[in-house]
Amino acid sequence: MPIVRYIAVSVLILAAAMVLVFGPRPAPALPPGRENDVIVQYWEKWTDPEASQMRQIVDDFNRSVGAEKHITVQYLSMTNIDQKTLVAISAGVPPDIAGMWDANIAQYGALGSLEPLDDLAAAAGITADYYKPVYWKGCHYDGHLYGLISTPAAVALHWNTRIFSANADVLRAHGCDPDQPPKTLADLDRYAQALETFSLGVDGKKHLERAGYLPMEPGWYVNLTPYWFGGDVWDPATKKFTFTDPRVIAALKWVQSYSDRLGQDAVAEFSSSTGGFNTPQNAFVTGQVVMEQQGPWMANILHSLKPEMDHDWAAAPFPAADPALKDVSFCGFDILSIPKGAKHKQEAFDFIAFVNTQAEMEKLCSLHSKNSPLAKVSPEFIKNHPNPYIGVFEELAASPNAHGPMDCPVATEVGGELMSCIQAISAETATVPERMAYMQDFATRSYQRFLDTQEAYRRAAAK
Amino acid sequence: MTLSKDTRNLCKGLAFLSPWLLGFAVFTAAPLALAIYLSLCYFSLSRNGGNSAAIFRGLANYRELFHDALFWQVLRTSLLYSAMALPAGMLMSLAVAILLNSKVIGQSVFRTMVFLPSLVPSVASAVLWMWLFNQKLGLINNFLGHFGIAGPGWISDATWVLPAFALMSLWGIGNTIVIYLAGLQDVPRELYEAAELDGAGPLSRMWNVTLPMISPVIFFNLVMAIIGVLQVFDVPYVMTNGGPAHASYFFTSYLFDKAMKYQEFGYASAMAMVQFALVLLLTGIAFWTSRKWVHYR
Repeated sequence: MPIVRYIAVSVLILAAAMVLVFGPRPAPALPPGRENDVIVQYWEKWTDPEASQMRQIVDDFNRSVGAEKHITVQYLSMTNIDQKTLVAISAGVPPDIAGMWDANIAQYGALGSLEPLDDLAAAAGITADYYKPVYWKGCHYDGHLYGLISTPAAVALHWNTRIFSANADVLRAHGCDPDQPPKTLADLDRYAQALETFSLGVDGKKHLERAGYLPMEPGWYVNLTPYWFGGDVWDPATKKFTFTDPRVIAALKWVQSYSDRLGQDAVAEFSSSTGGFNTPQNAFVTGQVVMEQQGPWMANILHSLKPEMDHDWAAAPFPAADPALKDVSFCGFDILSIPKGAKHKQEAFDFIAFVNTQAEMEKLCSLHSKNSPLAKVSPEFIKNHPNPYIGVFEELAASPNAHGPMDCPVATEVGGELMSCIQAISAETATVPERMAYMQDFATRSYQRFLDTQEAYRRAAAK
Repeated sequence: MTLSKDTRNLCKGLAFLSPWLLGFAVFTAAPLALAIYLSLCYFSLSRNGGNSAAIFRGLANYRELFHDALFWQVLRTSLLYSAMALPAGMLMSLAVAILLNSKVIGQSVFRTMVFLPSLVPSVASAVLWMWLFNQKLGLINNFLGHFGIAGPGWISDATWVLPAFALMSLWGIGNTIVIYLAGLQDVPRELYEAAELDGAGPLSRMWNVTLPMISPVIFFNLVMAIIGVLQVFDVPYVMTNGGPAHASYFFTSYLFDKAMKYQEFGYASAMAMVQFALVLLLTGIAFWTSRKWVHYR
């Protein structure tokens, strides 16, 4: 066969492969009369049931504002959305809306990977006074608005009222009121100790069967413990880390005190016997842990995993070390942001603004069993909310002692390293001052590297 | 235009090779070259919507790397794991292959059983092993409990997590066993017969005939194992996410986090180059020593 034929066949095969991989795809089907709508791609991190609940809001939009403005939002639920969005942004094909986490505001905002929404929000009449301050502040980085809220949360103490009642005498013997939650951290420790039970193992050692409270169970917010001691690991005014602050040290020594008292081996073994959060083996659901730090979604989780527990739990502000510190909480939230390079910014923002209307926001937050991020809350929202303690979460979110996400672009990296240090502290393989000195150095270096990178890009842009 | 026969043959050969050549160039050579360049730069994939170029900064990423305590920790962890998993995997797979090479009833069934675990997706086997290793509810500690032994927190205790992963790595030695088996079946029978006539016992035959004859296969498996153990990522990512307290935080996990979570692609590329150099060095040592113990027919 002449060589030309070989080359021609190879080129044809290659071309066919290219068409298959990169070629056109069928256009998404739109309802009759909406064929010319602008299609807004919306990627969201939630999986069911929260994903389906958000879909109701998307459907509301497509039926109302979307129909009026000829916009159709196409909703796609996925895992690892931050990494997928990152790759899509760099490839120049980002979604129009990315539903990510609060920590992405500073990280992606600093990199210029998100569209600033200041002008779009101002044009839509969305201003600071519309939100609770902690959430509005958290949506900003370096003076710019990089996202709006999809759903918020506040962290509170949850306790099992049935176990409290069943152990009323033991609690009273320890000087605790079985009808009230602990008011201070010292109280919490006393309640926890009263509720602990042990069994004897094959090795003759005591094994923890039920924990009153364990900082590492589930441990989602253990790195934020300094808030309840009046401290913080980051000073937003000076933009410096403060890991060696005595209040931070005191907070982590308190975390370590549980391993000191119960024994590291017993705590580790106990933790291995508890199941994943959204499973029937959840330690709070099984009663293995009596008190836990969690968000308002716990009402939905408990109802779905164990409906008979609906009236066996309660929520209150998590006690602070200093009784003068009232209603301390961490108020994280989920965001709706527009990635840089999105094709339909205005239409995407129309949807984000729609989600942030009071009616839709309250509907979504009720479905997700979360508090509202808005300054004004309707009486119906409180009355019909699936979480009977939603008032507690509303007060915590409105409190002056409510803390939002760290306003620092390296917060994800620093937070990850802090969690690892806390594991070492809990396992008693390191002392708190030693680990915090390491964290101070690690975080300062990490932030300096970020600043150096920013400076290099600033200089390159100035050339 | 008329081409000589040799040129035509060359063109034909290249045409047949072109899909592989193209794939190698696009998916291996170009990314490698790019990674080398990026390791000398500031770079983040999504900066300014993916529109920012890399900024050259010389060897600064490497300098920072060598002052990064976490870099040294993950390197130490990876080497320690390799020191456990590599010899364990090599010895176990060779031993099992020798057993499977003997003529016993149900030989093919045993071979299938040994190979099956390596067909299980790594994430699925990670979840399975999480339950086996569970300190309180796991089958392993349950079994040990029958002998009055309180088993450790296999993956929740920093002391035990690396040995546990090394133990678990034996689960996937099916592929290596198949390669050993092929090598073992290739050893000429007459060599064993001659050794027997010379009065060699089973151990002597193993030492003087089998091992020298399959030494190229051992060498191949060694090189592949060196590359594999230093790149361990998926199983610890699923099972412990680097914990407890970074005890199972491997080199590749840190590299992945730096690139995909913290968006420091330049730094991550520098790490990748160090990893590449390390694999190259260890493979080089293996090649250098192979002159003394690998016998080619």
